[in-house]
Amino acid sequence: MSVHKDFHGALSCCLEYIYKKYGEKELDMCLRQIARNVYKPLIESLKTRGLAALEEHWRRIFTIEGGDFDLHYDGDVLVLNVKKCPAIWHMRERGYRIFEKFCEHCRIVNDEICKAAGYNSSVDYDQDAGSCTQKFWRRREG
Amino acid sequence: MISCTEFILAYNEIFNYLHEKHGKEAVIDLWKYISDEFLQNLDELVAKKGIQGMKEYWSRTLEEEGADYEIKATEDEFVIEMYKCPSVGILRRTKHIKVYPYYCEHCKVLYSRVVEKYGFDYNLEIIDTNAGRCRLTIRKKR
Repeated sequence: MSVHKDFHGALSCCLEYIYKKYGEKELDMCLRQIARNVYKPLIESLKTRGLAALEEHWRRIFTIEGGDFDLHYDGDVLVLNVKKCPAIWHMRERGYRIFEKFCEHCRIVNDEICKAAGYNSSVDYDQDAGSCTQKFWRRREG
Repeated sequence: MISCTEFILAYNEIFNYLHEKHGKEAVIDLWKYISDEFLQNLDELVAKKGIQGMKEYWSRTLEEEGADYEIKATEDEFVIEMYKCPSVGILRRTKHIKVYPYYCEHCKVLYSRVVEKYGFDYNLEIIDTNAGRCRLTIRKKR
């Protein structure tokens, strides 16, 4: 499958524009709208199939993009270790300016997808290194 | 990570968001920002090589995106005959999203700003927004 990785740079540029022009809160709202609408099938799948749906999603896209990653379970928690983020590395290789808060989009989009499906998530990232650890687990009621 | 394979859907949703919150002018301002801040690679190719640079740029990007297209380049004219725009194809196939009604217009704003400053006329004829059919003609100004 052919992929056009320059789209990462275009996304970074869009997020930078919204942040500069309208501020952090609007960027957050915009990303949450993207999460709810673009990832609607993933939200539904997460609701019905559980973490296996997310596991498949991450494996598919990081494989297509040639990322260096590891997926495993730590008890009931799905852990995604991204050792070499394809987006950050591609933008760096092409010399594109990277929005200073680019990695925040992962935290916000994951959070909105998980919230909508009854799950929680966390993202611990190092944007300069192009690496992160993302975790996903079912929300406990009460 | 929003994968580059999901970018078109996210891009479309950003347009929807900005239009709903701030009107169409806000979407056009975003396109201008992308053109000025992100398309340096096209800018450099056109500055150095003129029409040959356009051919290099669009041949690579359209191949990576999997477009059905034809390029005709002569000494003073560059034409892309787009039979099936890959972005439009993704938007039309994805039934759960709302297609931004002015989506195709981004190509008018993004690329005209780059080539016109190097002495070219830019004309984008949107022939069929459902099929993703258009014709881009760039001519040296006389």
